[in-house]
Amino acid sequence: MNKKDVAEHVTSYRRFLWRAVSDATDGSWWFYAWMILLTALALTGLHAWAVQVRDGLGVTGMNDHVSWGLYIANFTFMVGLAAGGVMMVIPAYLYHDHEMHDLTIVGELLAVAAIVMSICFVVVDMGRPERFWHMIPGIGRFNWPMSMLTWDVLVLNGYLALNLHICGYLLFKRFRGERPDPRWYVPFVYLSIFWAISIHTVTAFLYSGLGGRPLWNTALLAPRFLVTAFIAGPAFIIVLLFLLRKLGGVPVALRPVQVLVNVVRVTLLINLLMIASELFTELYGGGSHTASGHYLFFGLNGANALVPWIWTAVGMGVVSAVMFLRPGVVTHPVWLTVACALAFTGIWIEKGMGLIVPAFIPSSLHEIVEYFPTLVEWQVTAGIWAWGFLILTVALKIALPILREPHPEAKVAPVAGNASSAETRIHPAST
Amino acid sequence: MNNPSEQPVETTEGGGMTRRTAIKALGATLGAAAFAQAIAPLTEWTENMTMDEYLQKHYKELSPFDLGVVMSRLEAETKAETGVDVHIGDYRPQPGVKFGYALNLSICVGCRRCAQACHVENNHDRPSGNSYIRVLEMEKGSLDLAKGRVNYDKPVPSKDKFYMPVQCQQCDKPPCVSVCPVEATWKESDGIVVVDYNWCIGCRYCEAACPYHARRFNWTKPQIPPEEINPDQGYLSNRLRPQGVMEKCTFCLHKTRQGKLPACLEACPTGARVFGNLLDPESEIRWVLKNKRVFVLKEDAGTRPSFFYFFDE
Amino acid sequence: MKRRAPICLVLTALVLVATGGQWLLRASASGADIPSAAQSTQVDATTQTAPVASRPEVPPHRPRGHHPSVATGIADAHGNTTAVACMTCHATRASDLDNGAAGGTPKTFHQGLAYAHGGQSCLSCHHSEDYDALRLADGRKLAFSDAQKLCSQCHGPQTRDYLNGSHGGMRGYWDKSKGTRTRNTCTDCHDPHAPAFPQLTPVFAPRDGAARQQAERDAARVRNSTQPSAHE
Repeated sequence: MNKKDVAEHVTSYRRFLWRAVSDATDGSWWFYAWMILLTALALTGLHAWAVQVRDGLGVTGMNDHVSWGLYIANFTFMVGLAAGGVMMVIPAYLYHDHEMHDLTIVGELLAVAAIVMSICFVVVDMGRPERFWHMIPGIGRFNWPMSMLTWDVLVLNGYLALNLHICGYLLFKRFRGERPDPRWYVPFVYLSIFWAISIHTVTAFLYSGLGGRPLWNTALLAPRFLVTAFIAGPAFIIVLLFLLRKLGGVPVALRPVQVLVNVVRVTLLINLLMIASELFTELYGGGSHTASGHYLFFGLNGANALVPWIWTAVGMGVVSAVMFLRPGVVTHPVWLTVACALAFTGIWIEKGMGLIVPAFIPSSLHEIVEYFPTLVEWQVTAGIWAWGFLILTVALKIALPILREPHPEAKVAPVAGNASSAETRIHPAST
Repeated sequence: MNNPSEQPVETTEGGGMTRRTAIKALGATLGAAAFAQAIAPLTEWTENMTMDEYLQKHYKELSPFDLGVVMSRLEAETKAETGVDVHIGDYRPQPGVKFGYALNLSICVGCRRCAQACHVENNHDRPSGNSYIRVLEMEKGSLDLAKGRVNYDKPVPSKDKFYMPVQCQQCDKPPCVSVCPVEATWKESDGIVVVDYNWCIGCRYCEAACPYHARRFNWTKPQIPPEEINPDQGYLSNRLRPQGVMEKCTFCLHKTRQGKLPACLEACPTGARVFGNLLDPESEIRWVLKNKRVFVLKEDAGTRPSFFYFFDE
Repeated sequence: MKRRAPICLVLTALVLVATGGQWLLRASASGADIPSAAQSTQVDATTQTAPVASRPEVPPHRPRGHHPSVATGIADAHGNTTAVACMTCHATRASDLDNGAAGGTPKTFHQGLAYAHGGQSCLSCHHSEDYDALRLADGRKLAFSDAQKLCSQCHGPQTRDYLNGSHGGMRGYWDKSKGTRTRNTCTDCHDPHAPAFPQLTPVFAPRDGAARQQAERDAARVRNSTQPSAHE
């Protein structure tokens, strides 16, 4: 690559960014209303967080007994959503499913938004966020490999970089009207598949390695995390695809949705089996180490704040599992959306309030202190969700031109191509 | 399939675009103003923060001179804030010393004077009544913590009960140390697990990892009336803690590393507490380990505590 | 349970008056390995009354003055309590060994002394000829300052634990090369006539959310149950 090429790339990259910004900020009045709403929520959350930093985490419902709450619960869920995003990628690249190919960018953009949100949830949980530099290797002290949290920092940032690279590269190439060079993104796509598994496994190890918290200290935690990730991710993407078709004019073929439905159908059942296994193990033997499980599902010594939450989650899981088994539901966009929403919400409760919080109840000295999130926590949480949706909306907006292009080989079936042939189907845009 | 509402973007390149750009600019300005308003509390918060404090290195990387400067700065800050002259010392582990603690559950009466002495000695937050010691009233005949309770208020000892104070067990394999992402907490050569309050980022992973509820977080800035501040302070122990960082029992290292007994032991009216050097065969703690049937709390957690419990009978 | 603590305190106070809390014992350099009362230093009124002081409200049974004495219960012109030396009466009057036999309160003299220390008689520990001294089991005299030796005749395990630093408490230095320590003697904490350690009122109840929530749940349980108190 000579000097002129580099210079040309730099200027075109600048124009690309400018184009991306103007694409992302143009839209209908509905679009503006949506963006203003998200911005307002995000700013409210930002303000609540600023107050929390100034006055201390005492403004939250957390205490020395329940030392992690809504933030870490949402963090865990978001890591799962990010990992679940690659469920679009796995069929496309591992099974060479060409119809999935063009939609993989949806999953990867979702992953980017979810990772940003999960990092935000960690930052707002910190007592001294300004000391983040203590974690930077070289100038700080990074307790790697002993601390699982350092692993999590590595894999989350790595996953973010991977997905930013893949999405950014594809969009940039498309903007320049060039064919993406598979050498520059296909290896990263494969890497991101394994990386997605690793982010959620590492996040599970963060909890399951703690011998002092019996509810977490189970080998089933990492598999459970992955399974729930592969419920929440695809369920969200299915709804997203419907929205893209309806609002963005994206031609969504039936096959990708069917693949995702099949994934959710199976993972929902596996998750129910895993919950049942955990419940059996907790309840059949008994003993003090099962107290958290008892508290979660039935209440303990008159304390039962989480009981309605977890049974709602289990109910949503069962109902959505049954719905996904019904052909009439999975072919009907509205019912399928309802089923996905139920599955998604159920997992959000189960992995958040149903997993992070009860591990602290009873405390390590078996004191029962219940946790109730405060308004500040809800504001910050809503703000980060809004911020995530903001990122996702903008990213999808930029990617819309790619997604809108009908796929010429989509109707050709069965496709016996390979991964490297993928790039032939990304067409130069007519600018 | 195309959504008509998206069309203007592509078609109205002329006047519509400028109006749109103007609206965008207005929106961006409003957004920036709202953003500034939203983060206003952060500016209030940074007013009391100095660059020296922000850029301060990890305790282990500070030279003796640098540490001296830091401690003088902290003393001056305390003086400015509270008007109290405190002395902050950097007490290092003594060679040939590893601290051990034993507690006789047969003669502990559960009066909680140890917890109170800890509160006073270690400059704990007054409104929350913080203390590194939690005393459990337990059912006789059971070591099940689930049967314990902390908020007993009847005269003690109650019949059919025994009392078990729990504090940091200064584990030889401390889970709290291994999980810390920034090495803000570590185990020193005399066995004491310490926290660098100026390095901790406040993630509370250590609090989740500890099986003994030994760690405390400064959810707000600790409040103590100036006249109650204990002026004899250690850099790694009882100096006034900042908001948003973790703290824990240090066996009163500002006292014990000078050869003195910890505050909780001195407060005990029955002599249930035994403290000393595990490496000295003539020490009282070694006598207890040799002659009493001691046990450690949650041995199955594999933490190898330096804190032992025993019964007389 | 709640009522018993004040009663205990009242009884303790009575015992103190009856037995004469104003004994004095001169520091005698007893070569024995058992420390004398005088070696345990100033744990005086200031530390006992300060609310945050680490010493509890246990009966301080510290002999003061030149001769053992008992309070008369009569105030002098200034309103001060008066005491009379043991030998004032015992030099002229034979001991009535049936007075308060088998425990309880003496019928004549020493009235109000609540005795609860096994099946001993007075002269098991007090010397029958020299009431300014104590009596060892083999009949030898023992100065009041060496009372710990008397106790250790029966309470071997406690003495052993005490000598090894695991009974009775201490203050000062764990490292004896750096400083000294202060220790209690038996009678600092145990009344010799009723040695059971009294019940104490626990201080410094936890004030955090845990304690508050526990109290609320307890109250709810009490309301919901027919029994007035679900736990003690």
